[in-house]
Amino acid sequence: MFGYVRPLRQELKCRDFDLYRATYCGLCRCLRRRYGPLAPMFLNFDFIFLTLLLWDPEDEFVPCRGRCHANPLVKKPMCPDSPALELAADESVILTWWKLRDSARDDGVVGGLPARVLAAGLYPAYRKAAERRPDFDGVVRACLEELSHLEEACCPSLDRAADAFARLLRGAAPSGDGRSRVLSQLLYHLGRWIYLADARDDLEEDRRAGRYNPVSARYGTQGDDEALKATMDQSLDLMGAALQLGEFGCRTPVLENIIYLGLPLVQRAVFDGSWAQIKKQKIWSNRQ
Amino acid sequence: MRDPYSVLGVSQNASDDEVKKAYRELARKYHPDNYQNNPLADLAEEKMKEINEAYEAITKQRSGGGYQQQSSGGYGGYTQQRSYSAGSPTYARVRTLINGGDLAGAERLLYEVPQKDGEWYFLSGSIAYRKGWLDEAMQNYTRAVQMDPNNMEYRQALAVMQQRGGGYRPYGYNNTVDGMDCCTTMLCLNCLCGGGHC
Repeated sequence: MFGYVRPLRQELKCRDFDLYRATYCGLCRCLRRRYGPLAPMFLNFDFIFLTLLLWDPEDEFVPCRGRCHANPLVKKPMCPDSPALELAADESVILTWWKLRDSARDDGVVGGLPARVLAAGLYPAYRKAAERRPDFDGVVRACLEELSHLEEACCPSLDRAADAFARLLRGAAPSGDGRSRVLSQLLYHLGRWIYLADARDDLEEDRRAGRYNPVSARYGTQGDDEALKATMDQSLDLMGAALQLGEFGCRTPVLENIIYLGLPLVQRAVFDGSWAQIKKQKIWSNRQ
Repeated sequence: MRDPYSVLGVSQNASDDEVKKAYRELARKYHPDNYQNNPLADLAEEKMKEINEAYEAITKQRSGGGYQQQSSGGYGGYTQQRSYSAGSPTYARVRTLINGGDLAGAERLLYEVPQKDGEWYFLSGSIAYRKGWLDEAMQNYTRAVQMDPNNMEYRQALAVMQQRGGGYRPYGYNNTVDGMDCCTTMLCLNCLCGGGHC
C-alpha cells in the first residue's frame, strides 16, 4: 500500500490523536506478535485507516500500556488486541506481500531486486496470513491478475482499471456483517481514489519509462488535472456519504478528519508535485 | 422500536428545543438529497424514517399523548420512485432493474437496444454511477444532456455529479480545502501525520 491515507493532525482533537496513535502502536504490536519482527516494518498509514474502519463501533477506546519494540525503554499507550486488529494485521500482511510481488515484477530484474528480497523475507508471514484469510487472499490475487491484464492491454478506461483495484480493497470488508454494505462502498471508493492518486503520482515517471499509465491512457500524456480532480472528488464524496451512514462509534471523528481533510490535502499535494517530499516526513511530535 | 430519545441522541430531560435541534441535525445528515443515486440511498431512507418516527413519538408524548401531529415539521414524503417518462418498455425495464440493484442485468438489456438516444446514455450513466465508475457516468450524463438539452432529469443527474460538497458534512468540515488560502494549505500539508515507526 502507499501511505496516502493520513489524518490532518492540526485539526485532530488530542483524544483523537491519542486514539490514532494508540491504534498505530497496537497494530504494530499485533503484527509483531502474529508475524514476527519483519512484519511491522511494512506498517503504514493506510493500514491504520483500515483498522479504524474495521473496529467494532461499540468498543470504547481503552488503551493499555505496552512496550514499544522500536524503543524498548519506553511504554506507550496501545490499543489492546481485538478481532478487528487481528483482521487488519492479517490483511496488511497479504496486501504488503502482493504489493512487493507486483513491484518486483514491474521493476525488472535489477530494479526489482530489493522488492524480491523483501517479498522472500515476508513469505512465511504471508503464508500464515493467507491461511487465516483465504477469501481475502483469493480476491487480491484475482484482482491483481485482472489489473495486470488490463495494464498489458493498455486499457483506455480509467474506471475499468481503477475498478480492479477498488474491488481488491473492497474485499477487505468482512462479509455477512450488518456493516458490510457501508464498509464495502467506503473501501471501494478508497481503493479507486488510491489507484487514481497513485496513477497521477507516477504519471511523469511512467511517461519517461514508456510504461502504461491509466491517467495518460485516458487523458493523454499531459493528463487533465481538472477532470481527474473532479472524478477523485466524487469518490471522496461517496466515501463521506458512506461514512455518515455507517456506525463507527468513538472512531468517527478521526475517520471524518481523514476523509474530509487528510485525503483532499494529499490529493492536492499529489497534483502539485509536493507529495514526494511530504510522504517522507517522519514526525509524530509537533516539530515541523 | 428503539427508545426515541436514544435515536435522536438526546437525554430524556432534554428541552423541546434541544430535541428539535438534534432532530434537525440528523435530518440534515440523512436527507435523501444527499444520497441521490447513491447505492446506499435505502439506508439513508431507513434512518430518516427512524428519526422522523422518534421525533414524532417524542412530540406526541410531550403534548400529552392525545395530540395528533399533522406534520412534525419534518422532512419526509420523499420517495425514490419518481414518475419517469420512459421512452420505451425496454428502458422502463432497465430502470426497474437499476432500482432493484441488478446492474449486470440492466447493462445486458441496455446493450440490446440498437439506437442510442439521450435516454440510453442517461441510463448507461446511471448504471456506471451505481457501479462507482464515476468517470464513465460523467461522460454518459454529459452525452445525454447534449443529445437532449431540455430534459430536466438528465440535467439534474449531471448537476448532482458536478456539484462538489453538496452532500452532508458535520460542523467543522464545511470548509473544503479549496476554500483555504495558500498559506494555510502549506501549513496543513506539513501537518499531515508523517511516516516512521512509533
